[in-house]
Amino acid sequence: MTLLTLADDAVKKALAAGAQAAEAFAMTYRTKSVYIEQDVPKVAEERTEAGIGLKVAVGKRVAFTSASLEGQKDVRATIATAMKAVKMVPEDPDFPGFTSFRVMGKVEKTHDAKTAETPVEELVEMALELTAAGKVRKDVTVPKGIFRVQDYELRVANSEGAEGSHRGTLVFLYFTAKSGTRARPGEGIIKSLGVSLSQQDFQAIGKRLGARSVENLEASALREKIAGTVVMDPLDLGEMLIQTVGSAVNAEDVRRKRSPWQDKKGQKVASEGLNIADMPRLPAGLCSCAVDDEGNPTADRPLVADGILRDFVHDHYNAALLGGKGGNAFRRAVATVEGAYARPAQCSISNLVVEPGTQSLDEIIGSVQKGVYIEKLAAPEVNQFSGAFALEVRNAAIIEKGELRDHVKYALLIGNMFDGLKNVAATGRELRPSHGFLTATGCCYLPPMAFNGFELVGQK
Amino acid sequence: MRELAKSALKVFEKAGIDFGDIRTEERKSTTIRIANEQLQALSSVVRKGFSVRAFRRGAWGYSSGTSLTLDSVKHAAEAAARIARANSTKGLPRASLKNIKPMKKNLKPAVKIDPANIGLDEKTELAMTVSRAQRTDPKVASTFAIYGEWDYAFEVANTVGTDVSWREMRTRIGGQAVAAEGGKRDFAYDFTDGTGGYEIVKAVDPNEMGKTIAREAIELLTAKKPPSGMMTVITDPDISGLLAHEVMGHASEGDEITKRRSFLTDIVGKKVGSPLVTMYDDGTYPAAHGTIPFDCEGTPGHKTKIIDRGIYAGYMHSLETSGTLKMPLTGNGRAENYSRRVWVRMTNTYFAPGDDKFDEIVEETKDGLLTHKSISGMEDPVGGGFQAVALMGHLVKNGEIGPAVRGMTLTGKALEILKSVDMASREFKLSGGFCGKGEEDYVPVSSGGPYMRSKIIVGGG
Repeated sequence: MTLLTLADDAVKKALAAGAQAAEAFAMTYRTKSVYIEQDVPKVAEERTEAGIGLKVAVGKRVAFTSASLEGQKDVRATIATAMKAVKMVPEDPDFPGFTSFRVMGKVEKTHDAKTAETPVEELVEMALELTAAGKVRKDVTVPKGIFRVQDYELRVANSEGAEGSHRGTLVFLYFTAKSGTRARPGEGIIKSLGVSLSQQDFQAIGKRLGARSVENLEASALREKIAGTVVMDPLDLGEMLIQTVGSAVNAEDVRRKRSPWQDKKGQKVASEGLNIADMPRLPAGLCSCAVDDEGNPTADRPLVADGILRDFVHDHYNAALLGGKGGNAFRRAVATVEGAYARPAQCSISNLVVEPGTQSLDEIIGSVQKGVYIEKLAAPEVNQFSGAFALEVRNAAIIEKGELRDHVKYALLIGNMFDGLKNVAATGRELRPSHGFLTATGCCYLPPMAFNGFELVGQK
Repeated sequence: MRELAKSALKVFEKAGIDFGDIRTEERKSTTIRIANEQLQALSSVVRKGFSVRAFRRGAWGYSSGTSLTLDSVKHAAEAAARIARANSTKGLPRASLKNIKPMKKNLKPAVKIDPANIGLDEKTELAMTVSRAQRTDPKVASTFAIYGEWDYAFEVANTVGTDVSWREMRTRIGGQAVAAEGGKRDFAYDFTDGTGGYEIVKAVDPNEMGKTIAREAIELLTAKKPPSGMMTVITDPDISGLLAHEVMGHASEGDEITKRRSFLTDIVGKKVGSPLVTMYDDGTYPAAHGTIPFDCEGTPGHKTKIIDRGIYAGYMHSLETSGTLKMPLTGNGRAENYSRRVWVRMTNTYFAPGDDKFDEIVEETKDGLLTHKSISGMEDPVGGGFQAVALMGHLVKNGEIGPAVRGMTLTGKALEILKSVDMASREFKLSGGFCGKGEEDYVPVSSGGPYMRSKIIVGGG
């Protein structure tokens, strides 16, 4: 019996222990990481972990327990804890039971065997290649870098006969570069995600990293207010969309009246021509999978079509209560799957995809008379309920008559993301992945986008 | 543990490395989530695992696993030693570990009421009360409450001969309400947490907590846009704490100094703030959320003075940064869990209280802004920039607290802000939370301070 098939075993044993229904999620993963400090590989590591999450129901009472997994004794302990807990919790009158799908098949290219098998010593060499490329000038160093590869496999099974499995690989890079002096430093930060090492161009990432630190060093303090078109790089914009759109289309937030779009189905929520979909079947997607983390089959789903809100994403629970289709219950994040088994599945976007347009980033910038290009923010945090934000920019450049001019810093980007979606000036054609905070489920694939209505306000 | 440790240490002795250690952990937690006065989830987690580290000529090799068998640990120790040996040929700068004396200790947690002795029904009812109490007005669209307890057991042994074990227990109760009216929607929250047992959450009035959350969420619906630009700001303990933690704290972590990435590198003895500014990182603070008996390297928790009356006093350290910089150990080598690396991390980071009364600070402020609670903050150890988002605020006019204003971003250069501090209150508070470094590696911490008056740039709303 492998660790993953302990999921099936746990369901049977939970029923034997008195549960009327049970659902188990087992997961194994192997992590290899390299940490760069001061241009050299300071720490390298290999780690393995296995765990199980078990949900049991007796009548309308439901409890969830989880444990790291070594063998049968952990399964027995998990069941005992769950059965003890389920007797003491209040009933959930809305509990709809578990799903009953048997999900076969898989989404293309979510697992890359070559990536999974790359030894940590080779990852060290790749990290060093990126680091060397980042040293674009004598004064540029790479004080910090995290490079991680994960190979994971999961299985979900329940007492209604549902079962499904999924295997994936994840690649995560987070590097910083520093230029100038301590008294006058410039910092560049870059992040890249994917499911395969072959998607990462270490030379190009390194060069861009170094260039950002130099641009930040040489940027001048913004002293004015710019209220033209704001063109945004996908990485931080994606995080802003995950927080706002990701929550607004989440059926759990809709049902709980937390979503500002709760009663807006069929209404305009975005600019004409803007299409946003949830696409768990996206080949090589970070969150792509044929089965979600509670055993439902996944399906691509248009959410915003031509600016009109069409649908929400549902897990099994909310699908039963609101009348939608399940398939959007997740536990794993896309930057790391660590500890995913220890969380109950929750309603979430998978790959939130903004349909690309036809223009390149250069063409979008070329079409802007007066505006700003935002490449990196300090922390792209938005109020998910109101959409309001005021964010410090790290890398930004003024656009004048279609050309990038001076780089600026000490400025706040101010606006409202929900209003911004109704004022989209352009969508680019190159899709890139973005993710939320470390353990956040789901991710966003989007192109560069341009908005009207945001302001860049100088702090000086 | 003894046998596992022996197995790992034996590998390290033969492997020709400079230092090695093993840490085992058993992490148990229970979380109860209540959404709209209904149980959303009860979850219990047990995670057991180990981490082994090998250090050779400035390079670390790590390995970890969840299979606590002699074979697994031996295999992991061999892997860690192999990785450290391979990395030590990569031209690393000089680094050395602090010479430490072996320590043997077994500490029990300071708990008055063990949460294990309280029924799940009582804990559920506590959270349910916080959720229910938020229903004060039809404008409250959604309620949420959470109860959490964490019981972590650690053992650390190393090649020097240290063998220490301890437990950390924490509890938390909190809630969040979303209020809506017309097209407007906003939220408010409150929580209490700390290191200790059920007594921490039992001391909270759940009805009062719920009502406060609801009142603030509703107040935000009619709150005005805050003013923007450089202004006099009275930061509340939450925002004062973010300034301490995010900017001065992260930039005082020893690894940022050895990397020369911090704007506070080579600044010991220099003026960084007004004489009213004194700052500590204190892993021994009684019952605070970031309090630790030992760090993940087996060094006892420590109270470290970082700023002394405006003069920069010193950094926080792990075994490596303390050894490399030849400075005292401070017990700040922490890891999120057995599958994460050890970095220099904060514990409880705060500005010390001043002599002014809060009321006096308000009375002496002609035109300013008083912040109330934080939403987020962002570290900037390189540039020393401050960015924090406050939940809400109130205008202060001619010595009186005026109307509420919506959440705003506070920003500026940390040293300029600290040098402008001209009043600090006697009232003082710490708030708990989880701190990441870069984007990950979350450890329990707290931050706080007094109400502090200074000049800060305000924007947004």
